[in-house]
Amino acid sequence: MAVASGEQGVTSGSATEAAKPVVIEAIGVEKKFGANKVLRGVSLAAREGEVVSIVGASGSGKSTLLRCFPLLEIPDAGDVAIAGEVLALVERGGRRLPRDIGQVQRVRSELGFVFQSFNLWPHRTVLGNVVEAPVHVQKRPRAECVAEAEALLEKVGLADKRDAWPAQLSGGQQQRAAIARALAMRPKALLFDEPTSALDPELVGEVLRVIRGLAEEGRTMLIVTHEMSFAAEVSTRAVFLDAGIVGEEGPPEQIFRHPQTDRCRAFVSRHLARG
Amino acid sequence: MMAELAFLFGVTRKLLGGLPLTIELVTLSVATGALLAVAMALARSASRIAAVLVSFYVFVFRGSPLLLQMFFIYYGLGQFAAVRDSFAWPALRDPTFCAILSLALNTAAYTSEILRGGLASVPSGAIEAGRAVGMSRVMLLRRVVLPLAIRQALPAYSNELIAMVKSTSLASIVTLMEVSGIAYALVSETYRAIEVLSCAGAIYLVLIVLLTRGVWLVETWLSPAGSRA
Amino acid sequence: MGNALRLVGFGPTGWGGTLLEGAAMTLALSVCAYLLGLAIGALCAWGRLSGGRAVRAMIDVYTTVLRGVPDLLVIYLFYFGGGQMIGAIAHLFGATGFFGLNGFMVGTIAIGLVTGAYQTEVLRGGYLAIPRGEIEAARAIGMGRLLMLRRIIAPRALRFALPGMGNVWQQVLKESALVSVTGLAELMRQVNVASGSTQLPFDFTIAGFALYLALTTVSGGVFMGVERRVAHGERMARKQRA
Repeated sequence: MAVASGEQGVTSGSATEAAKPVVIEAIGVEKKFGANKVLRGVSLAAREGEVVSIVGASGSGKSTLLRCFPLLEIPDAGDVAIAGEVLALVERGGRRLPRDIGQVQRVRSELGFVFQSFNLWPHRTVLGNVVEAPVHVQKRPRAECVAEAEALLEKVGLADKRDAWPAQLSGGQQQRAAIARALAMRPKALLFDEPTSALDPELVGEVLRVIRGLAEEGRTMLIVTHEMSFAAEVSTRAVFLDAGIVGEEGPPEQIFRHPQTDRCRAFVSRHLARG
Repeated sequence: MMAELAFLFGVTRKLLGGLPLTIELVTLSVATGALLAVAMALARSASRIAAVLVSFYVFVFRGSPLLLQMFFIYYGLGQFAAVRDSFAWPALRDPTFCAILSLALNTAAYTSEILRGGLASVPSGAIEAGRAVGMSRVMLLRRVVLPLAIRQALPAYSNELIAMVKSTSLASIVTLMEVSGIAYALVSETYRAIEVLSCAGAIYLVLIVLLTRGVWLVETWLSPAGSRA
Repeated sequence: MGNALRLVGFGPTGWGGTLLEGAAMTLALSVCAYLLGLAIGALCAWGRLSGGRAVRAMIDVYTTVLRGVPDLLVIYLFYFGGGQMIGAIAHLFGATGFFGLNGFMVGTIAIGLVTGAYQTEVLRGGYLAIPRGEIEAARAIGMGRLLMLRRIIAPRALRFALPGMGNVWQQVLKESALVSVTGLAELMRQVNVASGSTQLPFDFTIAGFALYLALTTVSGGVFMGVERRVAHGERMARKQRA
């Protein structure tokens, strides 16, 4: 793995890549639900401008890992850090809890999370969804947020839907609105949790186009996805999660074309053949 | 015919004299009941013991007649010398206070169940999205949970408000001269029950139609087209 | 306190028996009023669904008025007004004085009429909840109107209406307490009388609470059992299909 990534690193300029700061990081994260150990010590970091795709069979812990970064799930062991700031956790009454919920809320507002099921607020218009957090959580001036939100809606192709209600949109439009909502936070990193899994096949393309555009802008992104060919195309690095640990990690060419481990090879051949 | 109309007109005018008291009973008890219901919903989520107590309260007040509850507060509590000597006695001896108190306690039980249903209907994804953008607990409650819960609960709450308007008529049994109390007095005075009670019924009907209309306006204001799904 | 227990209890000086008789009266009145309301509701739901414009309008007026007027006034209307009407007829035959209907009849009619309005909406909602495909399927296999009503529509509508019907029953039980104003010896009235003659209103209202809660809880359990049974049958059917 180390050899492979080094080789790849030369072609994409490893010196500058290595110099860029780590934006988002998991350190030895473990998580179990009941008796089911979903994550068994995962470490993973994304530097500024990296697009890291996380792939793996269902149940391999991909989504759980992603949800640990903004502490939507609290790791049983290990830590997450955003821009070098570790989110402090303390043991209390046999449970691990954030030491400072204010810190967690601040850090969450610096990340953009896109859910599989969109999770737009049904009682706010599309524009209302996009400006909600900048205005009320980040306390930025409303006029500025609205102007920025309109630009973002333009960017995701929903300029004409600013006053529509979420229930009036197709799944693909809802997800694009949710992406605009995530971008409105001016996030340090964007996290995508299977953003196209809940969509009808014919709507997947429009969402992937938007995500691809964001990747090309050089944003720091973590993408959990089943769309293997898409992941191969947009990511600068790929991580294969296998039963709660990192099974293999490297440039997309390695993971998707020339996997080094048997399990990754089996997984990729099964999924690329189908997709 | 003229005499008949004049009689109905006179009766209606006398009955309308009780309308301010009826409205006072409704507004004070509904406001108090709503506050109590919110407090109970919060207590329910705060501690397990509180949750059990609230459930018991709701069970008792939803499972027994309002008339009995009113009777309990107005007559029952006064059985004890300790109550009669306490600072609360001047209030508990006052039928208006007792009527409002029992109406409020009654509607609080129903409202807390309506509220609970509304809270349970809030999609978990909407809450999670709020957490993901860094909302605090209070902001999440204020900006996401309550607006969605209230919108969901409004139709049921509208029915509860209608029931409350009708329930105020029970206050006449503890001697209050609101619309029903006056109606009762007029029936005993004139022996023309059908006319008097029809007029009284019409007053309640108008009140409830206006109320329903008002709630409907709030409802459409809260849930504009398309956001209902 | 020992004295109070004796008075609420079943001894020779106790009111326990009287209270239980009151509870039995409450139950009897509630059952009669509920059945009347159910009959009215079924008739009106049918009229509302398949009647002409005039019939539908009349039913709408009935449900709106009876749901918008305090039940106490409806009870007074039949208690005093019923007497007024009978009195008017009696006067024609030369009789004089004040006439009153018996409290049980007043209560049954008044509460039956009020809950009939609610029951109309409940049953109509139950019918409308039946998936149209099921009715189409019945039509497709050549079922006649009556057979379809008996075999498909009634059982299905009942299944959807059951929760609402249970709520109406609870409402009837609680509203029956208002009939105490006619002097009918139901539970609320007996609590009132016992409180007055013993000067122990607290003890007797508590006993009243216990009896009403027993009535609402036990009968609520019965309704829930029926509901579960119907739902269970459906679950089994679903399993067999799978």
